[in-house]
Amino acid sequence: MKTRIALAATGVVVGLWGLWLMLDNVDLPALIRLPLWLGGAVLADDFFLVPLTLVVGWLVTRWSLGPDRHRTVTAVRTTFLYVGLTTLIAIPLLLRQGQGANPTVLPRDYLRDWLLLEATIIAGGLTVFLLQRSRFTLRKSRASSGDIGGR
Amino acid sequence: MKLPAPPTEKSFPSPLHHPRVATVIGRWLGLAVAICFLTGLFSHFQQDTPGWLYIPSRPASLYRITQGVHVLSGTVAIPLLLAKLWTVYPKLFAKLPWPPSRQALTTALERLSILVLVSAMALELFTGFLNTLQWYPWPFPFRQTHYALAWIIIGALLVHLAVKLPLIRTYWRRTTADRSPIVESLPPAITGLTRRGLFRTVAGAATLVGITSVGQSVPALGPIAVLAPRKPNVGPQGLPINRTAKDAGVTGIDADWRFTVMGPRQLSYSLDELRGLPQNRSDLPIACVEGWSQGARWEGIRIRDLLRLCGAPPGSRLRVVSMEKGGFYGTSELPAEFADDPLTLLALRLNGNELALDHGFPARIIAPNRPGVLQTKWVHRLEVIS
Repeated sequence: MKTRIALAATGVVVGLWGLWLMLDNVDLPALIRLPLWLGGAVLADDFFLVPLTLVVGWLVTRWSLGPDRHRTVTAVRTTFLYVGLTTLIAIPLLLRQGQGANPTVLPRDYLRDWLLLEATIIAGGLTVFLLQRSRFTLRKSRASSGDIGGR
Repeated sequence: MKLPAPPTEKSFPSPLHHPRVATVIGRWLGLAVAICFLTGLFSHFQQDTPGWLYIPSRPASLYRITQGVHVLSGTVAIPLLLAKLWTVYPKLFAKLPWPPSRQALTTALERLSILVLVSAMALELFTGFLNTLQWYPWPFPFRQTHYALAWIIIGALLVHLAVKLPLIRTYWRRTTADRSPIVESLPPAITGLTRRGLFRTVAGAATLVGITSVGQSVPALGPIAVLAPRKPNVGPQGLPINRTAKDAGVTGIDADWRFTVMGPRQLSYSLDELRGLPQNRSDLPIACVEGWSQGARWEGIRIRDLLRLCGAPPGSRLRVVSMEKGGFYGTSELPAEFADDPLTLLALRLNGNELALDHGFPARIIAPNRPGVLQTKWVHRLEVIS
């Protein structure tokens, strides 16, 4: 219990120090708008990103109920997740493409690179998917040919 | 018509919304946050050095590494934070305790600390990432807000750890449930996602994001840094820039341009006279607060030689004055240990050629272990502070 009280007390002091820094260094009009951005960050997380992953996760789980699909659902789910995540991070780069402060900021062709990245992720997912499926069908065909245990 | 009932904590059937999962992912996120905070603190103190702090000029690439790690750990924390929030999402719909009691007050305070933690961390990672693009769509100053939020995050995190400590202790060690599908409900048996599977997926996501962005600090990985706003070899003389000469209002120099050193003795040189002074070579990186960095070969006059020529006593500090107009970095201060370091130059040449105007022609400071914003460009005066 002592550890917890010490941790909590330190936390409150450190947090208040941060708050003081904020009040001291940021002027009033900006301070007033800051909570809107903080709230916006929470809303974006809790009412968009997480529900989106939940809905996609639910759809993938439902899809996986079909025959044999549970063998390959990992590849499907991971591919969706990685495509979504990298796209989320790529959004600011895509939005600001060509508007860098100077030509050395955002120098890439981000649209091409993003498409290449997603294609790579999907190709990787597809490879795993096909490998897993072929391994499964192979085992099944061997088993059905009387080779018990798939050996 | 009756509206559907709002979800409750029980509406989320996946057994992966479990304290053990939250503990493991929380550990990774905590590590990323700690690394990000400490490296960020180092960068802050580099730019705003408190009197009690001594910052060494070596290792020469220290800042390159710490700031690269700062931006990398922040970027990698994005998938980790999302995974953590997903895991504990059902808690958002837990019923608030009612009627008011001491227990209810504790719960409400805990919820408040989590609101502070989540909002500050989400905004911190968002503003931090956009800053690497030099994009500032918000109405508050970046540096001050980013710094203050960092302390608020650490404070809220400590409170969070204090509240959750018993739970963290219980679920710190691996259990058999990590490896085997969980039997209490259908999904894992059908979907095959064990806890270990989830951990692998999240670790993979963090690695993927890391690999596709670290190339802005590690030139060898530059070609695949498709999620990085910089390419370390793109720019005049193979080096990126933050502030162009045009932005700084510098158009070049006149024929009667003089470089002056104000010390015990006043020194004044034309550009040709500067070129006639003993020249030295330093292989030093430019490492920017935005995380990108690139090594380069600089040639010019050692600052310590200039200090000696003007008769400055050992241990002198320097004010470096640029010709640039406006901006926060028109002057910088070179602490004694940096001014005295033999690698610190008033550079006239870069990678074998005269400095490009965007890199600070005719002369700039280059010192080891310093953020790029303090490597002042278009220098025309040095003032000895003693």
